[in-house]
Amino acid sequence: MIHILSNQETKEILSKLNEQFGIQKIPGRLIKIGKERIFLFNGDFLDEQIKNLEKIVFIEKIGIYIGAIFLPTGEIRLSIEGTQIFKDQITKNLFEINEEKFGNWMQGEELNIKTGLRGIIVIKYKNNFLGCGKASENKIGNFIPKSRRLRSKNIIK
Amino acid sequence: MKTKIQPKPEFMQKMKKLLDQADFEKYEKIIQEPLLNSIRCNTLKISPEELKIKLEKKSWKISQLWKDYPEVIIVENELQPGELGRSMEHLLGYYYIQELASMLPAIALAPKPNELILDLCASPGSKTSQIASQINNTGTIIANDVKIERIKILASNLERCGVADEIITREDGVALCEKLKEQGLKFDKILLDAPCSGEGTMRSSPKTCLMWNLNTIKSLSKLQKKLFQKAFEILKEGGEMVYSTCTHAPEENEEVVDFALKEFKDKIKIEEIKLPVKCREGVVEWENKKYDERVKFCARIYPQDNNTEGFFVAKFKKLK
Repeated sequence: MIHILSNQETKEILSKLNEQFGIQKIPGRLIKIGKERIFLFNGDFLDEQIKNLEKIVFIEKIGIYIGAIFLPTGEIRLSIEGTQIFKDQITKNLFEINEEKFGNWMQGEELNIKTGLRGIIVIKYKNNFLGCGKASENKIGNFIPKSRRLRSKNIIK
Repeated sequence: MKTKIQPKPEFMQKMKKLLDQADFEKYEKIIQEPLLNSIRCNTLKISPEELKIKLEKKSWKISQLWKDYPEVIIVENELQPGELGRSMEHLLGYYYIQELASMLPAIALAPKPNELILDLCASPGSKTSQIASQINNTGTIIANDVKIERIKILASNLERCGVADEIITREDGVALCEKLKEQGLKFDKILLDAPCSGEGTMRSSPKTCLMWNLNTIKSLSKLQKKLFQKAFEILKEGGEMVYSTCTHAPEENEEVVDFALKEFKDKIKIEEIKLPVKCREGVVEWENKKYDERVKFCARIYPQDNNTEGFFVAKFKKLK
């Protein structure tokens, strides 16, 4: 079920994004599909046109998946594309990894690093934004989906 | 080791009729050769210059064949099977693996920012993501396909490429056009990259040779005409539509165009298109059928002319 977020609901999401990552502006409209998944749509199609379209045809997806509500804590976990879209705005809970860890991360591995951060954090390597992880005292849990994982670290070079 | 392409004799007879002897020999030879490693830089995420630097760091030798389209890149190294698809840059959505000829329909369509665009048979999403790049994620693209398995591939590719202005619908193409017409929705641009017999894709997909048969071509031709008719009805006046296939069969190409010109008479104009490859005119006569002379404006792309796959592209304008 597609739900186009109201201004109030969008503000609430923006407030969370601001609190977690320092994000100040959402470049488009937000849409929820299911309870957790958030999509960003920046097409010109009006809300009413979307609703009319939905009456006559099955809409599989609108816009791009930018993240999900991480149910245990209510935090937002940005997808790879989510972090890429907001890369110029992310100022908080951002952790840069080195080349070796970049390979491990893209292979879907948990990273044994002390970040000094707790909760959902954005991972980057140089100018590559790599989605979010969950930081605890000594490690970062990995959310890279299987379809986006590297099969071999040698491929980085 | 590349599998030897073994087209059926009836297919080769048809190709002989389409080409002269010297050309046919070149065709026979090139279909046994591997394709170039072509990729399209996804300008929604990275510029061609930045991508080039990243790829050259991997010791890939890069060239850009078409000066007006720097996003079109050839990796000249001999790569392992699947290597392009396993690279970090691909996983992060910095490029799309796309055969050169398959980039031509979207180039012909030439979409502009803020237009409403329909990509009627969109999966796997190569042309949809190319269109989104061309209009820099502005406007709206309705990307449709009929089967759920194909939709999953489409959605996954568009996500990886950062496409944010699309609505993915799942519907039979003819039925979708009828429903949209009923609702009064009309498009600035339509891409009808129609389901086809795929004769042009034998180099990348040798199994096409096994599946090829004349009856399929006849039934596809009927479907293509229906799709064209219904799609053209929901094009705005002044709007443009590209019809493309990856096949050489005139039944699926010029015959469909001939049908459209007859069906829409003074409401349709076939446009000349400029593509960055050698193109040949559409055929005006095939197996005792004479087509409208204007089918000459269609572009036939043969593998032996540009070292690509085979394609057919035609562009139309809806007149007032």
